[in-house]
Amino acid sequence: MTVALAIVLTGIGTYLSRAIFIVALAERRFPPLALRVLEYVAPAVMGALIVSMLTTPSGDVQIAAPELVGLGVAALVAWRSRNHILTLVAAMFSFWSMLALFA
Amino acid sequence: MGDATLQIRRGIAESIPLFIPAIPFALVFGVVVGESGVAPWLGWSSSPIVFGGAAQITLLSLLGEGASVAAAVTAALIVGARHLLYSVTLAPRFQNQPRWFRWLGPYVLIDQVFALAMVRHDEDPAAFRRYFLSVGFTFWTLWMLCTAAGLFIGPLVPDKWQIAFAAPVLFTALLVTAVDRWQKLLVAVVAGGLTVVFADLPNRSGLLVGALLGIGLGLLLELVRRRK
Repeated sequence: MTVALAIVLTGIGTYLSRAIFIVALAERRFPPLALRVLEYVAPAVMGALIVSMLTTPSGDVQIAAPELVGLGVAALVAWRSRNHILTLVAAMFSFWSMLALFA
Repeated sequence: MGDATLQIRRGIAESIPLFIPAIPFALVFGVVVGESGVAPWLGWSSSPIVFGGAAQITLLSLLGEGASVAAAVTAALIVGARHLLYSVTLAPRFQNQPRWFRWLGPYVLIDQVFALAMVRHDEDPAAFRRYFLSVGFTFWTLWMLCTAAGLFIGPLVPDKWQIAFAAPVLFTALLVTAVDRWQKLLVAVVAGGLTVVFADLPNRSGLLVGALLGIGLGLLLELVRRRK
């Protein structure tokens, strides 16, 4: 039963973290500076999230040549093509090639 | 075909490529539930109840390792704390919207939905609402199916494929789409660099520290820009 309790608590907490400002700020006016700063949330969170995804559960960041090449190819292809599927195929292919080279 | 149908179809079509990075998460989730000793249906129930891959994986792996309910829930919520930032950021877009949407929309506010909603500059609230909900519930439906499949398939995928790398790749693509001036690129790089520096903080909180300091830098850059 403790597992069910943990899942329900996490569900409530997750929902609240997504809803709180949307519901609470529904009628307020946003100052212009605040709106401009909010534009930086997406780049900052994504930059941090990418690194976090390359971190092992014990806290080691795994960024070696294959990861760097894979992400570099991803950035380049995404910038030139704006096509997510093409980006994924190109980046995974170069990542696997690098892994094979270094193995 | 009316405008509404068109917006809904567009939402569905734009969701599907972005769902691909979630597939490795669904497989990893399947592995974690399998190793945790939790009944598969109970582990899967976290998909509709929590609807957040990283939080679900954190929660079940910690419970599987014998962590207390308090510790596991706290860790999962810290991993999911970036949703607070999404909520603040999207709050202006939820003004001039009906109340039911303000309560329902956040339930499907995952990373990809946030990223897609942010790059939309719809003037019309009804168009934004249709797009948001069709994106959100496309991801929702796919996640329910894939986490169920992950319970069976996850344990079968060879580790050496490292399919989890698809996740940072797709987020890099999203980041590139979101960057339209050098200040944003700088903020992204600094936030990522600081996350490396703070990587060994407990419960993955390095992610939050890096992101918050990056946003702080964004504030500074905006103050400088204004003075000019």
